[in-house]
Amino acid sequence: MTAASIAVQLIGGFLLAPLLPGLIQHWKATLQGRRGPSPIQPYRELRRLWAKSSVTVEGASVVYRLAPAVATASLATALLLVPVAADAPSLGVGRDALALLGLLALARFAVAASCWDVANGFSLMGASRDLTISVSVEATFVLAIAAAALVAGTTDLAGMIAGTAGGSVWSGPALGLAAVAFALVVVAETGRQPVDNPDTHLELTMIHEGPLLEYAGRDLAMLQWGAAARHWLMLVIAAEVFLPHPQAVWQQLALLPVVLILLCAGLALVETLVVKMRILLAPRLLMVGAAAALLGIVSWLVQL
Amino acid sequence: MTLALLVSAAGFITVGAAGASRARWFARAVTLQAAGAALLSVAGSWALASGATVGSGFTSGFQPRFGVDGLTAFFLMTVGAVAAPTLLYARSYTRVAVGGRVVAALCGVFVLVLVEVLCARDPMTFLAGWELMTLLPAAMILVARPDERSRHTVFLYVAATHLAGAGTWIAVLLLAHAGAIGGPPVAQGSALQAAIALTALVGMGTKAGLVPFHSWLPRAHPIAPAPLSALMSGVMIKIAIYGLVRVLIDWLGVLPLWIGVLVLALGALSAVGGVLYAIFQHELKRLLAFHSIENVGIIVLGLGACVLLRARGDDLWAAFALGAALLHTLNHALFKSLLFLGAGSFERAAGALELDRLGGLLRRMPWTGAAFLLGAMAIAGLPPLNGFVSEWLTLQALLHVSAAGGVGDGAAGAVALAALAATAALAVLCFVKVVGLVLLGPPRRAAVAAATEVAAPMRAAVAALALGCVALGLLPALLFRKLVALAPWRTPASPTVSLHLPGTGALPTVGVALSLILLTSVLMVLRGKRSATPAPTWACGQLVEPHLNWTSAGFSKPLRLVLEVILRPEREIAVRSSGRVIQEVSYSGRVPHLLDERLYKPAVTLGLDAAHQARRLQTGRLGTYVGYLIALVLFLLAAVKVGAIG
Repeated sequence: MTAASIAVQLIGGFLLAPLLPGLIQHWKATLQGRRGPSPIQPYRELRRLWAKSSVTVEGASVVYRLAPAVATASLATALLLVPVAADAPSLGVGRDALALLGLLALARFAVAASCWDVANGFSLMGASRDLTISVSVEATFVLAIAAAALVAGTTDLAGMIAGTAGGSVWSGPALGLAAVAFALVVVAETGRQPVDNPDTHLELTMIHEGPLLEYAGRDLAMLQWGAAARHWLMLVIAAEVFLPHPQAVWQQLALLPVVLILLCAGLALVETLVVKMRILLAPRLLMVGAAAALLGIVSWLVQL
Repeated sequence: MTLALLVSAAGFITVGAAGASRARWFARAVTLQAAGAALLSVAGSWALASGATVGSGFTSGFQPRFGVDGLTAFFLMTVGAVAAPTLLYARSYTRVAVGGRVVAALCGVFVLVLVEVLCARDPMTFLAGWELMTLLPAAMILVARPDERSRHTVFLYVAATHLAGAGTWIAVLLLAHAGAIGGPPVAQGSALQAAIALTALVGMGTKAGLVPFHSWLPRAHPIAPAPLSALMSGVMIKIAIYGLVRVLIDWLGVLPLWIGVLVLALGALSAVGGVLYAIFQHELKRLLAFHSIENVGIIVLGLGACVLLRARGDDLWAAFALGAALLHTLNHALFKSLLFLGAGSFERAAGALELDRLGGLLRRMPWTGAAFLLGAMAIAGLPPLNGFVSEWLTLQALLHVSAAGGVGDGAAGAVALAALAATAALAVLCFVKVVGLVLLGPPRRAAVAAATEVAAPMRAAVAALALGCVALGLLPALLFRKLVALAPWRTPASPTVSLHLPGTGALPTVGVALSLILLTSVLMVLRGKRSATPAPTWACGQLVEPHLNWTSAGFSKPLRLVLEVILRPEREIAVRSSGRVIQEVSYSGRVPHLLDERLYKPAVTLGLDAAHQARRLQTGRLGTYVGYLIALVLFLLAAVKVGAIG
């Protein structure tokens, strides 16, 4: 079973991740009564971008050239770090949930630094908004992980998958409240409504797309793959830790695709029903999540 | 061996300090001082690795005693590791005028005083060194910058550290009186224990720059010359941490829970408050000084976790928490002195350090710039550098506070956890801004465009410190094992080489670093070199003019708006128009420091008013004073008569 877990983690994370945003876009269009792009549209875009040449900006330094590779490498390392089942071994980078925070921050830092390097006002606007929102995202993320880690007794993600499996952990409210918090983290990290609107191409409203403005060709392909990898990371953690899942490893692996597809459908539904909120109100929404997770932790402490 | 190394180190520094006052010997003398500091670091690491204690143990008596144990050895190593590159840097940085020579000589003396505080084994020597440690930087700043504003700041610094520094005296003297220095710890849960802990937190917390006792720090650190700023922020405030560890962990035994929660609260407040105000500073050295407050907060969060875990009986994780705090102490010493020295180089090369008026220095000063970039990434807590490791360890320690705790302290641990995560995110925001405005983008002044790389010793100093940040990021476990063993209680087990701590998913630092570097290189190869003709930055078809560039205030505006309720920013917009055509718009905005405005300003005003009232008693006429004397004598006689005294 271990080999199967590794295979799902690597093949799923590295190859199938672009399918997730593709599915969301596809269903969102369907729900809105449009025909919309096919679910494999992200692959077509990656192929198209890979064939084009990159753009060099006058006066940009090595930071601009390195940033997409560093950001993508840190997200790829995060893919190695996040297991898909309870028996997945450590792939040389550990399996710690809190270490994930550092890798996501590195990706953010690299992209934001590239914006300063090309001195593009629109990119910087996106970067500054992204970093502002990341403050409440990280606090909420840590609290949600902490609540689940307390329930499971470890921050080892494989241990957390095992520790939160089955029905008995759902007898208290801790994990449920943490799941509410993590749902908001998923929305913010994947850049979905109501926090960000991935469809817009109006510079003034973009968050995650803004910092990528100056990139083209293979650089942009890497960054877009990185956005898809972020979807995989967040949705896998949501499915395997914060949602009810079975104890047997083969069941976990078998159920994962189903849950991922359902989560994509859920995100598409949310995107259709909820409008984007004012950017400066997003931290408040996330703080609600943080408060929920804190409540979850306190409820676990009281129960003890 | 340790003793021989220490004595020769002290000898080198003494001779160097004496020689530095002569212009002819200046360069050689300062190099000798740097060599002495390097020896000091070797002595410290040797003593830490061998685990042997040298000299006398602690005593509550008042005869001067000196000695070295594990904790002292670790801090000696830290002092040496920062002082050696800093003094090397000072060799080229200092102008060989009289003032510069005096400052360089005093730098050596300052290092010796720090060593004295660390090696002191009795209360008197400790307190004497503590006072000297406060006064010497004041003297150095006055010599280096004899202007009105500096004098005012130095006065503030000395006043603040002395008023609150009384706490240190009370704590240490109470401990000596109770015989707890080198003796059995004070009775657990007693009022004496609480009083010592509180006074130590005020006294040593002021020296460390803990919020709300930090007001002097962001004023005093930036005005010092770069090497002294590096020593103050890198090392001096760490000695206050040494004091706190001695008192809270070593001498007071197991503390009650509420003190642990208080320490956590102070740490969280400093961490978040420090970084938050740092973001709104627009001068590089002042911004770095605020970051010292943040990092002291992170260290104190680790100490608070240690106190709480100890009170809850989780000795293993209490030791890990102590290790995390100490590791972050060394890490911060390295990257903060690196950043201050880098700032000094930029100032030398480009003039003023106003953030909005720099830019593009990475290309013009590749060595200093690259080292500064590494330091900025380390302080922002990014893998695979050292700041990430100690922040991860502190996060884990705080999580275990919740796991081991009751409802109250468990919830406090969770809040502190969230505060630390938010601090890390804010630090990323702040240092992206610093890196962007200083190192990247177009130069924003003619002087910056013409900047060139600084002298070799200054480059070597920052490169050495950057190397330290990388090494500690790759192999922290070697040191962490030793630091965990410094806990005065017996620890059940120690971690293996790659931070496989129980109850965590492990942090194989080398694995993460290898993965990041390999994947980045593969991606860079895959990306290839094919590129379109260079084009200007896209700005909706406009020409990008220099004054369209983003500013420090602009980048932090979303955060300022989100936190408007807390920060209460002020801004002023004046529009001048003639006819209906706007001729000129002037904008000024600032984020006032909440504690300064609400706490210190009223307190200072009140104090000055009281002093003003008291001055009425001083008429300057002889008759009045004779009257006071007669009144006093009459009062005393009356008191004797009614039997109140005598």
